[in-house]
Amino acid sequence: MKAQKTHNIYNPKMECMSREERRKLQGERLRATVQLEYDNVPLYRARMDAKGVKPEDIKSIDDLKLLPFTEKTDLRDEFPFGLFASPKKDIIRIQGSSGTTGKPIVAGYTQNDIDVWTEMVARAMTAAGGGPDDIVQIAYGYGLFTGGLGAHQGAQQIGAMVVPMSSGNTQRQIMMMHDLGATMLCCTPSYATYLGESIREMGIPISEFKLKSGCFGAEPWTEGMRQRLEELLDIDACDIYGLTEIGGPGVAFECLEKDGMHVNEDHVIAEIIDPVTEEQLPYGTPGELVFTTITKTGMPMIRYRTHDICTLSDKPCACGRTTIKMSRITGRTDDMLVIRGVNVFPSQIESVLVGMEGVAPHYMLVVDRINSTDKLEVQVELTEEMFTDKVGEIEGLRNQIADKIKSVVGISAKIQLVPPRTIPRSEGKAKRIIDNRKL
Amino acid sequence: MFVRQISVFVENVRGTLRKITKLIGDAGIDILALSVADTANFGIVRMIVREADIEKGLKVLKDAGCPARTNRVVCVCVPNRPSGLDEVLAVIDESDVSIEYLYSFNYSADGQALIIFRLSDTEAGAKLLLDNGIVLFTQEEVNAL
Repeated sequence: MKAQKTHNIYNPKMECMSREERRKLQGERLRATVQLEYDNVPLYRARMDAKGVKPEDIKSIDDLKLLPFTEKTDLRDEFPFGLFASPKKDIIRIQGSSGTTGKPIVAGYTQNDIDVWTEMVARAMTAAGGGPDDIVQIAYGYGLFTGGLGAHQGAQQIGAMVVPMSSGNTQRQIMMMHDLGATMLCCTPSYATYLGESIREMGIPISEFKLKSGCFGAEPWTEGMRQRLEELLDIDACDIYGLTEIGGPGVAFECLEKDGMHVNEDHVIAEIIDPVTEEQLPYGTPGELVFTTITKTGMPMIRYRTHDICTLSDKPCACGRTTIKMSRITGRTDDMLVIRGVNVFPSQIESVLVGMEGVAPHYMLVVDRINSTDKLEVQVELTEEMFTDKVGEIEGLRNQIADKIKSVVGISAKIQLVPPRTIPRSEGKAKRIIDNRKL
Repeated sequence: MFVRQISVFVENVRGTLRKITKLIGDAGIDILALSVADTANFGIVRMIVREADIEKGLKVLKDAGCPARTNRVVCVCVPNRPSGLDEVLAVIDESDVSIEYLYSFNYSADGQALIIFRLSDTEAGAKLLLDNGIVLFTQEEVNAL
């Protein structure tokens, strides 16, 4: 049963204010954030000094373009606390995600930041038709990953009854969803599709469920996947976007118009830049999405390059929100893969292989989507020296690689050992990824 | 007292065993004993060929991109009657040596089965078997098959 297309708005004052008023607010908040960053984060201060920019130069949102960028590698280099702008005693939560190499990245949240994040998700849930009468099943993973706790906090904030299932255990998910009469579901779109397919396989009519809508994110998806998911579960499926560095899910979200994601502009400023020239691009032009947080105090981010490619639009939305909307993510400017909601960089796999005896650092990542679940296969070349006549020793090597990849990347991969020199070498940038998922 | 064996790493995909037998056959090499260990992921083909063919065999395999190596195994003459193998295993069982794997020859010699043993300690294992009156085929005897 789909959600009734009513446009409830969690915070009409902030979500529906005039553009001019909002720009003024953004300018003030940006100025304060830059000052906080300049005073407390040596790396960013050095970068501003190198560019000859002082906090007082930032007078309005138009001055954003003067500021230097922040990159994911900065989070790695300053791991764990180097980018925190508040004293450790004020940090009450750590969340994390995978970095580009062995180490994860972490973000610190003050109480203020948790409140900001919670409100952003509450807005998303409200926009997807949620409210105090809803039973919200959370099937994102709980833990360092922001999906589970983020959705949890937001659902609780709107007064819904929260069912914190975390990810996996499909049979039990379906049983609880059925028996409790969950009205909303939050998980990755591929897992939601898998749940829908499993329900169909189990032969339970979808009419026995009370689901009406859901917020689905943490991985790129398409309009085709939305249609399939909506048909399988008989719901409205809304997209939700976020990243740990900026606060987590809820940075942007779809309303029931399902035509782009509203950016929570009183908390973040979104820009689109040309990834090569780094110049700002006008609305409607595809480019790299860049975010600046303007209310966070634990680990504010100024001009954080997401490497996600999309477009922004300031066309008015029928829901009444005046915030700009971002399109679906259509690609990446780097080689990051999203597998089962987890960010995977080929460089992480490489860092594991380089540190191991018996394998060459030549590898290929093969990604497939089988039964709506992403599967990662890592093809690795066995060196001649490492080859033995004993199955156990080679199996041992495979398990060792699998364990290390699991601990570094956070997901299980199937390790396929292949003979030496069978992975194609290329002259220029090596091709390391075969993505067979039809997105 | 020892026999050299060739092992080849192969991917567990259709057609790989044939690729090996074709390479070896085209080189005019006769396979005297063969074993294929398979896992879901990969396989190891092990074979005994005549001594004169070993280097040639290794070369054609490596040239074709197949990781291959040789190592020493023992070739045990096992009486061709009930409990024949059991008696050999009983000797090994009472020692510190363990069996990694074993496989049979395509030939027999004077009513005795020929079985290749890969032992955890090849030297100690071979000595143990000889001390217990078990007959081992030498490389020369294998070559003459």
